[in-house]
This record gives sequence, C-alpha cells and structure tokens, in this order.
Amino acid sequence: MSALAYDIKSSTAVVRAWGGNVKVRLYLHWPFCRSRCAYCDFNTRVASVGYQEAYRTALLAEMGMWASMLGRAGKTIRSLYLGGGTPSCMSGDETAALLSTAAERFGLEDGAEVTVEVNPATWAEDDYARAVFGGANRFSVGVQSLHDGTLRVLSRPHGAEEAMEALRAALDSGARSVGADLLYGLPAGCEGTFLDSLEKLMGLGIHHLSVYALSPGAKTPLARMAARGEVALPEDEAVAEEYLAAVEILVRRGYEHYEISNFCRPGHRCRHNLAYWRREDYLGLGAGAHSKLGGLRFWNERSLLRYLRTIGEGRLPVSGWEVVTGEEAREEMVMLGMRTSRGVSERTVSHSSGRLRELARGGLLDISGGRVKLTPRGMLVSNLLIADLLWS
Amino acid sequence: MDKSRIRNFCIIAHIDHGKSTLADRFLEITDTVPRQKMAEQYLDRMELERERGITIKAQAVRMQYMATDGEEYRLNLIDTPGHVDFSYEVSRSLAACEGAILLVDASQGVEAQTVGNAYLAVESGLEIVPVVNKIDLPASDFEGTAMEISDLLGIDPGEVLAVSAKTGEGARELLDAVVRRVPPPSGEADMPLRALVFDSSYDSYRGVVAFVRVVEGEVKRGMKVRFMATGVTASVDEVGYFSPDMISCPGLEAGEVGYIITGVKDVTRIKVGDTVTGREAPAAEPLPGYREPKPMVFAGVYPVDSDDFTDLNDALEKLKLNDAALSFTRENSKALGFGFRCGFLGLLHLEIVQERLEREYGLDLVVTSPNVVYEVVDRGGGVTYIRNPSDMPDMGVVKEIREPYVQATILVPPDYMGGILELVKERRGIYQDMTYLSGRRVEIRCRLPLAEIVVDFYDQLKSRSRGYASLDYEHVGFLAGNLVRLDILINGEPVDAFSIIVERSRAHEYGSRITKKLRELIPRQLFDVPVQAAVGGKVVARETIKARRKDVLAKCYGGDVTRKKKLLQKQKEGKKRMKMVGRVEIPQEAFISALRAGGEEKPR
Ligand SMILES: Nc1nc2c(ncn2[C@@H]2O[C@H](COP(=O)(O)OP(=O)(O)OP(=O)(O)O)[C@@H](O)[C@H]2O)c(=O)[nH]1
Ligand code: SF4
Ligand SMILES: [Mg+2]
Repeated sequence: MSALAYDIKSSTAVVRAWGGNVKVRLYLHWPFCRSRCAYCDFNTRVASVGYQEAYRTALLAEMGMWASMLGRAGKTIRSLYLGGGTPSCMSGDETAALLSTAAERFGLEDGAEVTVEVNPATWAEDDYARAVFGGANRFSVGVQSLHDGTLRVLSRPHGAEEAMEALRAALDSGARSVGADLLYGLPAGCEGTFLDSLEKLMGLGIHHLSVYALSPGAKTPLARMAARGEVALPEDEAVAEEYLAAVEILVRRGYEHYEISNFCRPGHRCRHNLAYWRREDYLGLGAGAHSKLGGLRFWNERSLLRYLRTIGEGRLPVSGWEVVTGEEAREEMVMLGMRTSRGVSERTVSHSSGRLRELARGGLLDISGGRVKLTPRGMLVSNLLIADLLWS
Repeated sequence: MDKSRIRNFCIIAHIDHGKSTLADRFLEITDTVPRQKMAEQYLDRMELERERGITIKAQAVRMQYMATDGEEYRLNLIDTPGHVDFSYEVSRSLAACEGAILLVDASQGVEAQTVGNAYLAVESGLEIVPVVNKIDLPASDFEGTAMEISDLLGIDPGEVLAVSAKTGEGARELLDAVVRRVPPPSGEADMPLRALVFDSSYDSYRGVVAFVRVVEGEVKRGMKVRFMATGVTASVDEVGYFSPDMISCPGLEAGEVGYIITGVKDVTRIKVGDTVTGREAPAAEPLPGYREPKPMVFAGVYPVDSDDFTDLNDALEKLKLNDAALSFTRENSKALGFGFRCGFLGLLHLEIVQERLEREYGLDLVVTSPNVVYEVVDRGGGVTYIRNPSDMPDMGVVKEIREPYVQATILVPPDYMGGILELVKERRGIYQDMTYLSGRRVEIRCRLPLAEIVVDFYDQLKSRSRGYASLDYEHVGFLAGNLVRLDILINGEPVDAFSIIVERSRAHEYGSRITKKLRELIPRQLFDVPVQAAVGGKVVARETIKARRKDVLAKCYGGDVTRKKKLLQKQKEGKKRMKMVGRVEIPQEAFISALRAGGEEKPR
C-alpha cells in the first residue's frame, strides 16, 4: 500500500502502468456556491473571489501535473464534466477558459461530451453562449423546483422565473443537451409542486432530467428544523408514490429511464455519469474529487486548505486510495450496475434463481435475457435490494 | 482465644440501607484495614459490586476491638447482600453467627427485605441488635423508624440504636452493644470437630476454598478431615481467617469463623451446607445444613457468533465454580443456533451473570427473555420440568401445567394500598392478609406466580407507589394454572425463541403485545412480513411489518463511489448481527426485548 501511495503522489508509475492507451473521463470540481442551500452538506462553501482565484490556479496546476504524466502515455479525454458546488460562480468566459485549457492539455476525443453545471442564480444569457464557445456542449441546470414557495423553503438562491430564464438561455445557447435537476419528497406545503415543475420542464422540451429525493444532510438547517418539528418531511410511502408517478409520466412522454434518478430523451444520456455506474476509468481533479484507474480508486484532499497547500508544494493532493479486486469488484459491479437500466448479468448476483424469481414476482426485479435489473419499485428500495442480491 | 471474647455477627437489612458502609466504619474503628487502603464499601470487592454499588456476595472479616469495658474482643463480621435474589447468602451467613445487626434506613423506614431478613434471623435463633441508620440525613425519622422496628420485632423502642454509617456517629456505641447483647459462641474446643461450610470460593491454583464456622472442636493445618455429606476426605493444607483478605493461621477453634483449603479441585465435592469433621475422631451427627438454592428463572444464552460456543461453555463452567446457584444445559434453537438454557435465582442474578460473561470473558451474547420453570403432568401422570417454553409438549398429551409460586410480602404506605391490591389481583395473586405496621406502612401478604415477578411486577409495584412499595418473597412450590403455550410465527414460520407460557385468558393480550413489539423491533424488509401469535395453531393476534418503500441513496457526486460502498458495508455488517428466520432478518435485540414488558427499569 505505501509503495502505491508513493507512486500516486510522486511519480508517473501509475499512469505508465496503464500503457500508452489511457482514455479517461475528466471531472473538475468547483467547490464554491453563492450561498448554501438549507439541505446541503456537500463539499462546497461560500468564498471570496480571491479565494476562488487561488483555487482556480491550484486546479490548473493539478491539471498540469496530470497532463504531463498522461502526456507521455497518450492523450484522450472521452468526456469532460465541470461540477460542483457551483462552477457557474465563474463567468462564462472564465468557464470557457478552464474548459479550453483542459482540452488543450489532455486532448479531447472528437465529439466528446462536455458538461457544465449551472445554477440559475448565476449566469446571464450570454454566459451560456460564451461557455459553448469554450467547448461546453451540455448544461446541467440546478433547477430543483419551478415554484417560488418551494425554492424559498429550500433556501435556493434563485426564484422560479430566474430558473425558467436560465433554462431558456441554456436551450438557446447552441448546446447539444440541456438537463435539469428536480427534487421530490418536499416538505409539507409544497405538495404538487414537484410534478408541476416536471410538467413545465417537459413543456420546455428539456433533454435530460434528474430527480432526487430530498434528504437533508445531517445537521443542515432543514434537518434541524425537521427535528424540531418546524418543517414536516413526508412519509416514505408518499415519497415513493411521487417517484413512481414521475417515472410513469416521464416514460409515457418518451423519456428513457436509464438510471435510478436519470431520464432523457433518446440520444441524450449523460455519458460521463454513466461511466461511474459502468466502472469505466475517470480522473477527478479538484478538492475532494474521486478517481478510478483500473482496479485503483483514489481521492483528493477534501479540505480546501490542505488541497491548496499540497498543490503549492508541487505534490498531487491525493489523500486516500484503495485497490478493488475480486469479490469487492463484484460487489461494486452489482452496486453500481443495478442502478442502470442495463442491470447486471444474472451470473454476477450470488442468488439462487429461486430468490431472484421471488423478487421478480414481488415486482422488484425484472429478469430477461440473462440480465437482472430493478423495476421502478425495486429502484426505490435499491439499498436493501442490492444488499439482498449480494449477501443473502 | 477465650471464647467469651468472641462475637460472631452479621449485618442484615433491606437493599441499600447502608450495611457495607457501616462495615467500613467498623473496619476503621478496629484498624483492620490500613487508612491509606480504605475505600467506600470496602467489603464489596468484586468489580461488579463496586460499579453497581451493591453487595452480591456475603463477605466475612475478622476484627480486633477494644471495647469500652476495657476488654479486647475478636469480632467476626459478615456483610450480607440486601437483594432478594441473594437472600440465600443471608441464610448461610446467619448460620455462622450468634447475632445480627438489623439495619434500617431512617429515611425509608422498614421495607420488605427488612421484614424478610429479620424473620430469617429470628428463626435461626439469633440475637438481633436493631439500629436505625442514616440519621445524618435531613429526611431521617428516627422516632418513626424505631417505632416500626419495635412493632416488627415486638421489642421496646428504647432498645433501638441510632447510627450514621456515613459520619460514624454511634458506630462505637453499636459495637459495644454487639459485645454486650450478642452471646459468645457456645461450642467446646475439646469435642470432635464439627465445622459448617457456609460458603465457598474457587481459586484456580489452590482449588476450593471452604468458608467455615467451627461449631465444636478445632481444625488445624495438616489435619485429616472428612466432609460428611459427600464423604470426601482430605488433609488441610491451609487454615486461616478473613481480614478481609485470607490470612493463614495455625488453626481455628470452636466459635471461630475462617476458611480451610484442602487441595480438592472439584467443586462438586465440597458442598456449601456440609459439615467438616475429623477423620480420626469423627463427630456422630452432621450439623443442620441448608437447602441449595434452586434456580427458578431460566433464559437462553447464545453466542452472537456461533463460533464462540465453546468459549461460552468454558466461561459458564468457570463462573459456576464461584456461583453454585447458576445452572446451565446445552440447547439448540432453530432461530439462535447452539447455546445454553441457564438457570438463575432471579433477574438480578441473570443480569450479573450476563454482564460477567460479556465483560470478564469478552463474549457477545444474545440472552432471551427469562421464563420460569414449569411442572408438567402428562395424561399418564408422569411429571417433567420444562425450562424452555418451546419444549412444552402439545396440549393434547398434557393433563396439567403447574407454575412456581412465591410467598410475597409487600410493604407499602397506606395511601398506595388500593393500587397495589389491584396490581396483585391483575397479576393473578392470591391475597392472604394485611397488617398495619405503626400506621405508616401496611404489610400485604399474598401468593404470586413467579412468572409475574419475572415479567414486570416489580416495575409496576414501584410505579404505582411512587417508589415507596417494597417486595420480598420466597419460593413456596408449584400450583396448577390454566396455562397454554403461545407461539410466535414470523412469515408463517414459528420462531422457537419467542414461545412463552401464558394464562389462557391472557393469550390474546400477550399475543398482541408481543406482535406489536416485534413489528417495531424488526426492520422493514423487501416484502410485507406477517407476525402472528398462535395458541395450538389458532391465531390470536396478528400484525404486519409493512414492506420498506424507500431506501435509495441521494445524488452521487463526481464519482464518489466509496461513500456508497461504506454505506453498503454498514448494511453488510448489520446483516451479520441479524438472525435469519426463513427469509426474514431479525435483529438480536428482538430476542432480548420482544417478550419484556414495560420499561427498562430492573428490580433492585
Ligand atoms: N447519608 C447517608 N448515606 C448513607 C449512610 N449509610 C449508607 N449510605 C449510603 O447509602 C447507599 C447504600 O449504602 P451501602 O452501604 O452500599 O448499602 P448496602 O446495604 O450495603 O447495600 P446492598 O449491599 O446492595 O444491599 C450508599 O450510597 C451509601 O453512601 C448514612 O449513614 N448516611
Ligand atoms: S447550489 Fe448545490 S452544492 Fe451549492 S449549496 Fe446549493 S445544493 Fe449545495
Ligand atoms: Mg452492601
């Protein structure tokens, strides 16, 4: 293990081990937001422009370190994803510059998907076009809801109209694909706003939709309010019904349900995110970013200060790693693969076919053509189900 | 030592009335324990005793005391436990003494074990020195308490002394009273040896240590002795007394209390209650012994990890060396695997054994809810004892099921009497009579099924009397009842570890309570799981554990798969701590608390 650590941190050995044919997906993390939302415990913070500048410099330096290693081994990025936090805290131009630098240093596969996450509270209309000019061809807009009341409860930094404008701007920017995130399982008082927002998004002709159940992070203001009874979160039953309703509507309207939380019009799957579920290789840069190269998973310093310091010292900010082989790889395969519409092969799960049929009869699994996948109801209990598939 | 200068006495009281603290003062006054070594409740030597602040095992100590009459006396003190589970320790100690200090907390007054232990002492013919303790407390009521004691013993209130075991006030006067009132031992040193084994302990190097009270004759190092009941002969390797550590000495004479070590390693060969005599000049008759305490409360004890079965077996064997009242036999549960059905004197005893197994032997255990032993008469008239409800034969072949009853004494202030009588009735008690003790307290006597006490009688007693009622009891034998076996079925499969014996008319009530509790305790699964309670195949209560509807991770950020894996790993570990019954995962917790009623408070 320590030898491995040495390799990752100080030399190009790891990369060389991949031979001349390195193809990765590149993720860049931008850990800043305009303000913190009431339910969020992600690795992000609200910081001054100066701090963000310093981070940007460090991120570019980290890119440089990797680019020089990969450079010797060959160069191709299959997709690029700029996520956060809120990368659109940068202007359209700054974003474009960052994307172009990445593309230059690593080399981008032809037609590669280049996504930027955008918060509706940030960009003006022309920022989108500028980002596209820099190479972005896909936007993922953090809408969460198209109702002012709901957005207020979540303390999002934007209103419904702002979100609509952002979406229109993204759709008109020349990007190939525009996606939006929505939250369901909203607190009492927001009833109906999720499905209604969904309707509005489909009306706009949005290409991609991600729906996530609201689950306030521990110690977040929303979690505290819920604990004090100031906010009522819905029962599991109701949340489950809402999800099933959304699945039903989306599929009826021609959206593919290709992953537990993700839907798209044909041809608009997010290939970058799919790579995570398919255990393809990816390289994550920035504070707290995760990478996978073959059987090796590693991740960067989460602490911004330590991240900056390590880069300043000219070292890679890797803070942890693990080697995934054998049984653990199988577990990952099931855990990740079962999230997608492709499922996993029947052989990979350790079950007697009796149990599989039982789960299928119960409406939780779908078995066909030697593959096992989750039904929408199964997706709702995927944690339990995956544990069952792996270890019962 | 001149026998007239020996006093053997014990301290008896209701739990927590201050026996061990009073013993501390005696140890100080007599300089038995050096000042720098002194600690609170010094005689509570087991780690568990110190932690819980209660006495579990009686402890003897020899002290030299210069009385105010100018003479020096040798005092043998035995500190006894107050909890009813260990009342057999009190009976044994009494047999080694001529007198007893009866201690009563001035802020609590006479309580149930005060009465129980006082009667035991009177029956054993001991001189009783009544004392009111804790007179330093602002809430103390010396006069009232002294009146209660005088009512109880039929003595003049003027004979009752006052002490504060905490400050030491009155402690010297009390020792002088012991010297004056307790008679010296009577046996003669020149008679054939007769010594009563009143307790024992086990030392892994030296074998059994027999605690003895020499009644007649003397025992010396090197002497050949015979244990009259078991017939075992041995030579005495060591004789000594307690200080309270074991201090060896050349011999013990009639009237003295101490120990002998004979090199016998097999605990079953030296029985508490046996009489030691000389092999050369044996006594004709053994001393009256006492009945061995019989375990009445049983519970299944299983290792969480089935690989620990052998370790558990070893640990139980070792514990038994120092705890004759503990019993265990192998059993096999469909739900829990291989384990033991262990017998205990009561709930506190169970709790202590469990804690020792877990702590001293590092075992992870599932202990099922306790039940009592049942006497089952079959159609042919044969009698069997059932220690595990799931062993209860089919009702078809059973003629009668009898359950153990106790003779209970409840002391309660008159204000709460109504509620307590109600409780006794609810719990199938057979009311006998009632006496007023000096207007402050009513003594209720009744018979109760032990099974009720094992459930939550004690908690109810306390909660219906704001903590003022106290309970003492002794076993009185088996009585027939209209009892049935209640089975619990999970997902249609009976789970043996959940079976209990209940009165027929209450099967529904118990059934619905247990099924409700299980619904809370068993996590929701992928499918609905029915939980049923049934008597002889007929369902009397039913609940459904609804299937889990939502258990899905929120967004996964930037390929952070490790967080997901950690969560999954937790699930995997959680699964290990579950017992699979058919397709249903049941947490260990359920086996421990599903059958337990009421709150968590344990009888003390
Ligand atoms: N204020 C006051 N507290 C006392 C006195 N004597 C004992 N206590 C306290 O009462 C509690 C119980 O004392 P113990 O000496 O352990 O009682 P015990 O009778 O030996 O208890 P068991 O052996 O468990 O039956 C402890 O907290 C003592 O500190 C006293 O004279 N005054
Ligand atoms: S915008 Fe997103 S990352 Fe930022 S605080 Fe809100 S929810 Fe968290
Ligand atoms: Mg004590």
